Amino acid sequence: MDARTKEAIRYLGYGRHAVDDHTLKLVESCFEELSQAACGRIVYRIFELEFPESGRILLGNLDIHSKNLYKNLTGCKKAVLLGATLGPKVDLLLRKYSIGDMARVVTLQACAAAMLEEYLDEWQTALEADMKKEGYYIRPRFSPGYGDFDIAHQDMILRMLDTAKKIGLTLTGGNMLTPSKSVTAVIGLSETETSCHIKGCEVCQKKDCAYRRS
Amino acid sequence: MLLERLGKELLYFDGGMGTLLQSKGLQPGELPEVWNLEHAEEIVDIHKSYFEAGSDIVLSNTFGANAIKFHDSKYGLKEIVTAGIQNAKKAAELGVHDGRTTYVALDVGPTGKLLKPMGDLSFEDAYEAFKETMIYGEEAGADLIHIETMSDSYEVKAAVLAAKENTSLPVFATMIFDEKGKLLTGGDVPAVIAMLEGLRVDALGINCGMGPEQMLPILEDILKYASVPIIVKPNAGLPKQRDGEVYYDVEPEQFAGYMAKIVEMGAHVIGGCCGTTPAHIQKMVETTREMSVKPATKKDITMVSSYGHAVILGGKPMIIGERINPTGKKKFKQALKDHDMDYILKEGITQQDKGAHILDVNVGLPDIDEPAMMKEVIMELQSVSSLPLQIDTVDITAMEAAMRIYNGKPMVNSVNGKQENMDAVFPLIKRYGGVVIGLTIDEDGIPATADGRVRVAGKIIEEAKKYGIDKKDIVIDVLAMTISSEPEGAKVTLEALKKVREIYGVCTVLGVSNISFGLPYRPAVNSNFYTMAMQNGLSAGIINPSSEDMMRSYYSFCALMNYDKNCEEYIRVYGSQKAGTPAPAAKAELTLKEAIEKGLKEEAHHATGELLKEQAPLEIINEHLIPALDTVGKGFEKGTVFLPQLLMSADAAKIAFAVIKDVLAQEGGEVQAKNKVILATVKGDIHDIGKNIVKVLLENYSFDVIDLGKDVPPEVIVDTAVEQDIRLVGLSALMTTTVVSMEETIKLLRERKPECKVMVGGAVLNQDYADMIGADFYGKDAMQSVYYAQRVFEEE
Repeated sequence: MDARTKEAIRYLGYGRHAVDDHTLKLVESCFEELSQAACGRIVYRIFELEFPESGRILLGNLDIHSKNLYKNLTGCKKAVLLGATLGPKVDLLLRKYSIGDMARVVTLQACAAAMLEEYLDEWQTALEADMKKEGYYIRPRFSPGYGDFDIAHQDMILRMLDTAKKIGLTLTGGNMLTPSKSVTAVIGLSETETSCHIKGCEVCQKKDCAYRRS
Repeated sequence: MLLERLGKELLYFDGGMGTLLQSKGLQPGELPEVWNLEHAEEIVDIHKSYFEAGSDIVLSNTFGANAIKFHDSKYGLKEIVTAGIQNAKKAAELGVHDGRTTYVALDVGPTGKLLKPMGDLSFEDAYEAFKETMIYGEEAGADLIHIETMSDSYEVKAAVLAAKENTSLPVFATMIFDEKGKLLTGGDVPAVIAMLEGLRVDALGINCGMGPEQMLPILEDILKYASVPIIVKPNAGLPKQRDGEVYYDVEPEQFAGYMAKIVEMGAHVIGGCCGTTPAHIQKMVETTREMSVKPATKKDITMVSSYGHAVILGGKPMIIGERINPTGKKKFKQALKDHDMDYILKEGITQQDKGAHILDVNVGLPDIDEPAMMKEVIMELQSVSSLPLQIDTVDITAMEAAMRIYNGKPMVNSVNGKQENMDAVFPLIKRYGGVVIGLTIDEDGIPATADGRVRVAGKIIEEAKKYGIDKKDIVIDVLAMTISSEPEGAKVTLEALKKVREIYGVCTVLGVSNISFGLPYRPAVNSNFYTMAMQNGLSAGIINPSSEDMMRSYYSFCALMNYDKNCEEYIRVYGSQKAGTPAPAAKAELTLKEAIEKGLKEEAHHATGELLKEQAPLEIINEHLIPALDTVGKGFEKGTVFLPQLLMSADAAKIAFAVIKDVLAQEGGEVQAKNKVILATVKGDIHDIGKNIVKVLLENYSFDVIDLGKDVPPEVIVDTAVEQDIRLVGLSALMTTTVVSMEETIKLLRERKPECKVMVGGAVLNQDYADMIGADFYGKDAMQSVYYAQRVFEEE
């Protein structure tokens, strides 16, 4: 079983339980359909970082108060700000199947989330190599909504990256990213290698979550 | 006059603005339009250098100046737009030294929000925002409106309508396509052209996104379909990054070389976008100055479109699905009365899956508000299907309402040869664009002869010309009369079909199944007549794509006439079937309980049918269905059954219920009166998967779910609860920001419907949070909501 299939099954709440064949087939067929519908796009820019005080980060036009992000970025000089999306056709599929096939909807949803993570991981591997050449090490990516990093920052992030025009990523009035299978994130760049490899899921305080990465 | 020159001589736009502003100190995230007032001299300077470089048309610095995107505490929109136009006009005075005529275009960019159903911005709100900007722009003295960098066909429709309906200025529109020739929202080149030309823009084209080299194949595609003059405004190459900064590296010389090629191919208005500078424009003007333009050629292509793709009529026959129509369908009528949107949408999706290319939409029923229903069904269908739609109504108000909010160029069913009808329908086609079906009937009725029908067709085509509607936007329906009462009916129709194609060269449609009315075994007559009609020039049959007989005729015809290359489609559809034997039916090895527990729909359907031979419907529900659901539900609670399985079982059970309900309805009985529950995803929240999961499960347990959808304002929920005397409301919210709306809804419910219980659920909620906002129950998962609902109604 490949990594993204495992991840999708985790998102479906299976935890350590084995997945049944029927569901596994559903997962596979969802990935197949998504490979036609999804169109990954990404935009990023690098900004200088400043830390005027503990728990506060200045990144371009962003003025962020977040202990978690501060911890993640401490020691970094710059940070990559990114926005990525799988595009609007995934949402069309979710809407289509929500009439009469909810099992497929929840599975598509899980698979699309896994696909987006995989897309970002692959992109990040390339970024890591590029940055290494310039003498930078990258930190785990950290998104608004993780820990105390307020999602209210989404608006400015999208504006700084011009995501609406570049990749078709926008925000609703309620600060939700649309298309729904999208992320924004910050990746710290530091000149020294650290062992700070906590990823988004583990940083969360909700330890009884059924979807938690074990 | 600009329009007199457009398409006849080469006109030059300016180049990039944003990149120049950034080099002058504009920060990422800062509003460039504020510079119109705070750094007016810098803006004038940029415009001036473009005029000096040879630009005929300069865009005002108003790209983001609309009420949705532009929020500034210091300046109002009117001030910003007015200053933007004035700066450009001032620059023209300073920068045009050779006395040539130049133009200032009001630059209109996207709102930065996605429209519904993809996002949360309504079409009307987008229209209003654009309207405001357009009016200020015209008042300030703009010579034309240039709508650009659009990546959503729906948004550009709102902008074009706003410009057309509120100003008298020429309207240009350009879109961003990617290297695959698609908009970010998925639309392709023909779809965009069909819509924009339908809306009567004066010029259209492509800008931004790519460099000139990458635009060549897109331009080639545009040239194939477009009849109006074409605009091309590339970036100075593809964006590249250095030290986190975006830059473009196609130099002026190279840029100008490509632009000469672009003019040679057939562009009429050229300029630059991101990364291009006055130096690029100057070089471009120098290089192409002596070139003449190729006149825009009228394309005789009958196209309808959705937001995703266009369907072209006149070549391979197309299928228009006829099933979204209450005529003669008891269940469909009931669905309309009950506002059962899922039933209607399912008809659409099924037809799409069965091979329809266009979906006819008819929701006419006495006693319903047809304009409102038509609008809603069109919007909902476009949120689940990318097929172009055919707006089918005799109610002109409904027709207009649907055409206005339709995303694309619709098919319109229909106009006829009666003067009064043409007077009502043609203005709508002119305003919104569309391909309209012309029925060959007039004040004297349906002509009995083929020549008579051909004559009415001619009359319709002539009348349309008066509105500037080309015959490519008319498809003729010569009408099929039932042969049981009109013995010559089929012959007349076939002859008229052939003549209409030959004489006028227009496309044709036909409601095929009328032909067999009153006869036994209608599919045999229908499918043969269908083949004959296609052979006589039918461009699109209005048929039921779920009818295997019709589809067999269709796929065979396409294979026989070489519309189906290498018979690929035919083989895909029939490759696994042996001639003479129908597809094997699902085997009934499983009991109903097993089928539901395993989540197998077909098997559940079959097993229910088998059981109905021996047992009473209600017994089946109580002895098989409910126990199966209980087993699955308990497994889910214990953690041995997981969400996808729970839902597969729910869907299987739903099918079993449907089979049982059909039988009950035939017997005149009914399932017992149900307990009503409202479900809604609260205002501001557009993620409704959780709510839909709860819905499926509640329906399984025989609750009557009133699904109010997503992004539902508190008043709508409370009004419905009061009107229908609801005992239980379920609310979902995904994010902390929208839990606020949940709290508001609960407060309002407490005021106006205090006895009503509220259950809540969603990713960010927990028991404490639910208590804090005053909910009666927190549903940790979907099954908990079902159990709570049962308890609420048991207490009664």
